[in-house]
Amino acid sequence: MVTLDVRPQLLDALSALRDRVAAARFPLPLAGAPRARANRDELLAQLDDYLVPRLREPEAPILAVVGGSTGAGKSTLVNSLVGRRVSEAGVLRPTTRTPVLVCHPEDHHWFSGMRVLPDLTRVWVPQQDATDDLLLPGENPARVLRVETAETLPPGLALLDAPDIDSLVADNRVLAAELICAADIWVMVTTAARYADAVPWHMLRTAKEYDVTLVTVLDRVPHQVVNEVSRQYGALLTKAGLGEVPRFTVPELPESAWGGGLLPATAVAQLRNWLIHQAQDPAARQHVLARTAYGVLDSLKSRMPELAGAAAAQYAAALRLTSAVEGAYDSEHARVRGRLQSGAVLAGDALKRWRAFPLDCTAAELLDALVESLSALLLCAVTAADERVDDAWRREPASAAPELAAREPAADSAEHRIGLAVRRWRRELEEHAEEEVRELDRALAPDPELVAALVATSLLGGRRGRMAGEGLAERIGAHGALRLRDRAGRLLTEHVDRVLHTERERRLAPLDALDVHPEPQAELIAALSVLQKER
Amino acid sequence: MTAITDRDSTEHADQPDDGANRARSGARPSPGASQGERAARTDSPEPWDDGLIARRVTEPADAPALPALDSRSIAPATVTPLVYDAPLRTRLEALRELVGLSRTRLDSRTLSEAGRVLDEASARRRLSGQHTVVAIAGATGSGKSQLFNALAGVTISETGVRRPTTAAPIACSWSDGAASLIERLGIPPRLRRRPLPSGDGDSPLRGLVLVDLPDHDSAAVQHREHVDRILALVDAVIWVVDPEKYADALLHERYLRPMAAHAEVMFVVLNQIDRLPGEAAEQVLDDLRRLLDEDGIALGEYGEPGTTVLALSALTGDGVGELREALGQFVSERGAPARRVSADVDLAAARLRPVYATRRRTGLSEQAREEFADRLADAVGATAAGEAAERAWLRNANRACGTPWLRLWRWYQDRGEPATGRIPARAQADEEATARQRVEQAVRTVADRASAGLPAPWAQAVREAAARGAQGLPEALDELSVRAGVPAGRPPRPGWWPVAVLSQASMTILQFLGGLWLLGQIIGFMAPNLGVPVLLMVIGIVGGPLIEWSCRMAARGPGRRYGLEAERRLREAAAGCGRARVLDPVAAELLRYQEVREQYGRVVGA
Repeated sequence: MVTLDVRPQLLDALSALRDRVAAARFPLPLAGAPRARANRDELLAQLDDYLVPRLREPEAPILAVVGGSTGAGKSTLVNSLVGRRVSEAGVLRPTTRTPVLVCHPEDHHWFSGMRVLPDLTRVWVPQQDATDDLLLPGENPARVLRVETAETLPPGLALLDAPDIDSLVADNRVLAAELICAADIWVMVTTAARYADAVPWHMLRTAKEYDVTLVTVLDRVPHQVVNEVSRQYGALLTKAGLGEVPRFTVPELPESAWGGGLLPATAVAQLRNWLIHQAQDPAARQHVLARTAYGVLDSLKSRMPELAGAAAAQYAAALRLTSAVEGAYDSEHARVRGRLQSGAVLAGDALKRWRAFPLDCTAAELLDALVESLSALLLCAVTAADERVDDAWRREPASAAPELAAREPAADSAEHRIGLAVRRWRRELEEHAEEEVRELDRALAPDPELVAALVATSLLGGRRGRMAGEGLAERIGAHGALRLRDRAGRLLTEHVDRVLHTERERRLAPLDALDVHPEPQAELIAALSVLQKER
Repeated sequence: MTAITDRDSTEHADQPDDGANRARSGARPSPGASQGERAARTDSPEPWDDGLIARRVTEPADAPALPALDSRSIAPATVTPLVYDAPLRTRLEALRELVGLSRTRLDSRTLSEAGRVLDEASARRRLSGQHTVVAIAGATGSGKSQLFNALAGVTISETGVRRPTTAAPIACSWSDGAASLIERLGIPPRLRRRPLPSGDGDSPLRGLVLVDLPDHDSAAVQHREHVDRILALVDAVIWVVDPEKYADALLHERYLRPMAAHAEVMFVVLNQIDRLPGEAAEQVLDDLRRLLDEDGIALGEYGEPGTTVLALSALTGDGVGELREALGQFVSERGAPARRVSADVDLAAARLRPVYATRRRTGLSEQAREEFADRLADAVGATAAGEAAERAWLRNANRACGTPWLRLWRWYQDRGEPATGRIPARAQADEEATARQRVEQAVRTVADRASAGLPAPWAQAVREAAARGAQGLPEALDELSVRAGVPAGRPPRPGWWPVAVLSQASMTILQFLGGLWLLGQIIGFMAPNLGVPVLLMVIGIVGGPLIEWSCRMAARGPGRRYGLEAERRLREAAAGCGRARVLDPVAAELLRYQEVREQYGRVVGA
């Protein structure tokens, strides 16, 4: 017999783990991301709704959640167990849109606070229609829990009527699963027509996986076929490894569901007695609580690594995206350097100007042409890098994240930024040239602009610009020319590096903003191992 | 939540992706086994071994209640093949051509759906047009087999409380000649039946082939596969729902919503109304109508085409007559096969929409073409070359028409200045005279412009065409700028130059003459006459610069023309080269897209 024995260290470890789970994010749209996000939400809900409150207060009443497919008669079953109409039953599907919790008046305080199911707003009004008016604007109507009290239920037991697990309304589906995960006892309701449906079986298998306290109800069985259907269902359960699960059969009676909604007490007596026994017999109660709690704790062993794996996948994807950007910009940077070396800037317009210089072209015009040509080279490199990044990202599913996809039309603004940077380079170059010229104490010092144009040409012109270097040396002396050329060269490298770096950072900024790091993986695993140690 | 609810709807989609994902992220071992894997594990029959269901699938599902009147045993009557009407034939033809045209651009996965529709359409066309194949589909326990039997009038399909009951599809044909149709569904002869022969031999359901399907929602996955396969082949479907299950998410999300286009060939019947008290049946029927409407299914009310919704009880026979009547009319119209194929084409066209349709007007605007030419002109330096040519011309003109004194002074100046740039460099042939980066950027810009708004595969094709054209473009421009560039050597001289030079010379001579005359007077060699020589000198001194000035004014126009001519030559050559290598292939690609787009329009039937 397992008993629930909780030490404070375990609770600490659990809340640490809860925080880690809450901090996990999966922003990149990878194939496994939606599932990981759902798993995370589910785990977080189960920790908040069930595991932590249960371990903190083992003396709280047992919560039995009644779940099943649409039209399985869950509400009717709850009503019949309680003995009066607490949950609306009807023929239209889905019937139960607001979950209803029923408990003994003495137990009311356990559920009226936010101890369990803290996400759900409590509603007190018995009439279901009135709830809509009471909701604050913007509040999700699905996220409401109605708490009812009934003297007929024994203290220490609470029943919860959940929405359909296969509801057409997706929110209801999620809520149903969340509620079921918050239960001490899972009551699975299925019917004679449905017992082979795939959806309830998924739920049963999940229950088996978590090793929770499970009880199944085969509802609405026409009395002619009770034996056969019951036997069939039993066989299916046994095949699924759920043979030892308590099984109750409720016959289909005229008062089932349609209209009235209350079955005679005899029809549900067996189930009722079983539930009361679990709640009132201390040993049975301990067993029920411990089994579900430890089952969920054990399930963490596989669920946490799964989350950690998803976190790692996120990081790996982010890393791939980043390296695609860096690779593209690095290779373009190398290409720019090579082209600068080979004098690609002194081509086209700039080259024609240089050929005409100085007879048919002024120094300012030459400098203008060079500057323009340089910014064209840089712009070409940046757009080429962006194109490469786009190509690489197209193959990455992670790049479909809306934050990454919504990129501003970069070309114009990049052109603007590059133009600014190159013009700044020109200004600084002219300042350097002026300084150099001022140092010359010759009477007929050359025009600083001419010097700047010559330096720029010799720097950007590669082999073709050699003549410019010679001309410069003639004008300001070999030593001065060398010094000026070195300074201008350093300046050029600096500016080119800065331009490409800025553009790369801009490209990476949205990715950085997503904040995908390698730490969550390790933290999740670490939190799990601490928890394992404390058990 | 996923552990419970999402499994079913997502497991198929997630499995392969999950696998790939794990492989990429370094294949975490089994503690990290993903949900998808778990779902797969739990769904596959092996570990869970739904022995009962599995056994029932392999179990010979006949054990017929009635000795089967096998359709084979009846000699096949002459089969009249199906005939589609003209609009549908056009659409099918257009779809076939569309698939053919886009095979090189789109991957086969995108086109597979359209290919399947075409195959099925032509397969159906070869078969009987006298028959309508109707499938009865629904959830477990909703009474498909019961309804089937009620329509046939005999117990053909086994009914029972064990779920799921029917494991393999069973066919029932009301008239002869449907053997090949049933063959197509893959229903073996031992599962083919005949209905109870009606008295007068001409049943209102003549031409009907009814197929009873297994359920789509039980834990037996093979059943769902049967259903999915046959639903794609039949002409019409009767969806059987019951009061308990009519709002099942599986039914609506997996079947009804995707089949909304097929509303005209669907019946939805609410079975088991005998289980509902009083007015509840009407309420449930209304709710069912509402749900169908939300699924986007057109309801066939008030004589409009759409889905027929009926309430009936196969057990008591309530409402079965109405269904029989509706079916009889439906079958006698013989329009179902064509309508089904038409809906299939609609659906395939809608799926293909993202790869063909575009909201924006596509094509290369005149402005984009001009910009491209401008960029290329920049790359070869047409403007600079033109300006340089103009200035060189003017310089030459000035030199030729300037006063000798000025020329003397310039020559002196030039001797002092160090020569840069021009002398040796001009002689050598330029390598890579074209700015590579500008060409690259120009091509990229024009490709982006041309592909803006195109669906991805076609945009890619346009970009590829541009990139192919751009190969070798800079080299071609290099060569061309040498050919079309300003010819080396002195610019041509206009006819009035000699006159100007002559008058300039005469002015100089006048100056000399006046000076000599004055000198002669000073020496006393000549008679003193101050007026005439001074006048001569003044004329010479003033006239020289005057002529120079007027020449400069006169040279401006021709100089400008000369420069513009040089620029235009280069620009046009570059633009022509760019058009031939880049714009034309791009335009061809755009034209191909346009053609495909029109074909798609024909498929849609707009």
